[in-house]
Amino acid sequence: MTTAIAISHVSKYFGRTGGGTLALDDVSLNVREGELLCILGRSGCGKSTLLNLVAGLESSSRGSIDTGGRPVGMMFQDANLYPWLTVSGNIELALRLSGVPRSDRAARIDELLEVVRLSGAHKKRPHELSGGMRQRVALARALAQDCRILLMDEPFGALDAITRDAMHDQTERISAERGLTIMFVTHNVREAARLGDRVIVMAPGPGRIASELDVDLPRPRRMDDAAVALAAAELHDLLERHELELHRG
Amino acid sequence: MVDTQVKPSTGGQSSFRLPMLNEPGESSRTRFRQGLSARWSALWPPIVAIIIAIVAWQLIVLSGWKPSYVLPGPQAVGLKLLEDLGDPRFWGAVGTTMIRAVIGYAVATVVGTVLGLAVARFRVLRAAIGSLITGLQTMPSIAWFPFAILLFGLNEQAILFVIVLGAAPSIANGIISGVDDVPPSYLKTAHILGARGMSLLAQVIVPAALPSYLAGLKQGWAFAWRSLMAGELLVIIAERPSLGVQLQYYREFADATGLIAIMIVILVIGVIVDGLFNRIMNSVRLRRGLGPVRL
Repeated sequence: MTTAIAISHVSKYFGRTGGGTLALDDVSLNVREGELLCILGRSGCGKSTLLNLVAGLESSSRGSIDTGGRPVGMMFQDANLYPWLTVSGNIELALRLSGVPRSDRAARIDELLEVVRLSGAHKKRPHELSGGMRQRVALARALAQDCRILLMDEPFGALDAITRDAMHDQTERISAERGLTIMFVTHNVREAARLGDRVIVMAPGPGRIASELDVDLPRPRRMDDAAVALAAAELHDLLERHELELHRG
Repeated sequence: MVDTQVKPSTGGQSSFRLPMLNEPGESSRTRFRQGLSARWSALWPPIVAIIIAIVAWQLIVLSGWKPSYVLPGPQAVGLKLLEDLGDPRFWGAVGTTMIRAVIGYAVATVVGTVLGLAVARFRVLRAAIGSLITGLQTMPSIAWFPFAILLFGLNEQAILFVIVLGAAPSIANGIISGVDDVPPSYLKTAHILGARGMSLLAQVIVPAALPSYLAGLKQGWAFAWRSLMAGELLVIIAERPSLGVQLQYYREFADATGLIAIMIVILVIGVIVDGLFNRIMNSVRLRRGLGPVRL
C-alpha cells in the first residue's frame, strides 16, 4: 500500500516557538492511499490543528508533512459556501480555480451535483438550503478540485442525526467510488467507528497520538450495526483510559 | 420553477431518502398582493410626514412670525416650483449640476476604490495613511475651497477637486472595513480552493466586501453632493447656471420663494439618489440572505 500522507515528528507551537503553547507534540502518522482515517479526541487535543497543517493553512514548528503533491480538499463544520454565489457558482469557482476550461464546467457541475444527490439545486442560494444540503454542496465543491486527499474537520457536527446518517452513507460511497484518502476529524466515538478503516485516538495536553484502533468491518456499514457499536465502546474505553492517565499526571 | 426534487439513490442497495429542497410556498398572485401592501406600508409614513411638515410650515407663515416676502407659504413655493419645472433654463441648471456630480463622483469612486483596496491589502500603506483617510473624512469639505480656488482658480476643476476630496475617503473607508471584515473562514476556504493574489482579491475578497463597499459608496455620494452644493455657492462661473448659482441669484434678489423652491429640488435629488443606493444595497443583501438595511 502506498502512503498518501506522511506525517513525521510534527510539533506545533502557538505563539513563540519554545515559549508558546505546545498544541501538537511529536506526531507521526502515515495515511494509506484510499484509507478512511478517523481522528478522534476531545476538544483541545490538537486534531483540527493537525488537519490545518496537512492542508497548509498553518505551518508546523517542527517535523514534516508530505502529501506527495496530491491535491488536497477540505471541509469544515460550517460549509463555508460563498453567499454571493449560487450553488452552481460555488462549484464553478472551484472548477475555475483548478483550471477547468469554461466550456467543460456546466457538465462537470451537473455531474458533481448528481454525485452528492442534489441535482436541480443549481440556482439555489446557500441561505436557502438546509445545513445538510450546504454540506453536500461543500462536498461537491471539494470534489470539483479533483482532490485526492479530503480533509474533513467535524463536517457533520452541526447536523441532525438523520441527516448525519445520510451524509455518512454518501461519504462512504463517494470515498470508495473515487478512491479518496480521507482524514476525518470527530469527537464522536460512534461516528469514528461508523466511518473509519482505522481510528487514531488523540489526547490533549500537549496534543499527541495516544492509541489507534483498526476497524476491520465490512462496508457499507450502518450506525446501529452491533459491530459498529462494539467498536465504538472500545474507542470509548480508550478515551476514558487516556483521560485517567492524564489526571494521574 | 426548477426541478426541485432530489433524485433518490440509483445504487443497488436502498439508501436514506434525502430531504427535499424548499418548494416555493406562494403563488405569484398572493406575492403580487403582498408586494402591493408592502409598498403601501412603506409609502404612507413619509407621505404623512410631508403633509405634517407642510401644515406646520403653513401655520408658521400664518402666525406672522416673519413677513411673507422673507418666509413665503407652501402654496407660493409650490407654484414657483411648477413654473421652474416648465423652464428650460431651470433644466439647464439641473443638468450642469448633475453632470458635475456624476463626473466628480465617478472620479471619487475610482480614487477611493483603488486607495481603499491598497490600504486594506498593504500593511505599510495602512500604517502610513490609514488614519489620515478617516481624518480627511471628518474634515468639512467647504474648508478645502479657499485652497482649491487658489490652486485651480474659479472653475470646474476647483469644484471637482473638492468633490473628490469629500467623497473618496468615505468610499475608501467602506472598502477597507469590508475587506477587514471578510470572515477568516472565507479566506481559509479560498486558500484550500487555490485562490491566490488577484484571483483571491477578485473572486473572494471584493465580493465578500461588497455590502460594506456599497455602504461606503452611499455615504460617499452624500459627501459628494454636499461638497458640490458648497462649491457651486462659492465657485461661481459666469454663463454657467447651476443649482448653486440659482440659490445665490435668488438670495441677491431677495426672492425667498425661488430660493426655497431650489432648496426643495436639491433635497429631492439627494433623496432620490439615496433611495437608489438603498435599493441596490438591499437587493445585494437579500440575495445573500442578509436582512435589508433600514433607514
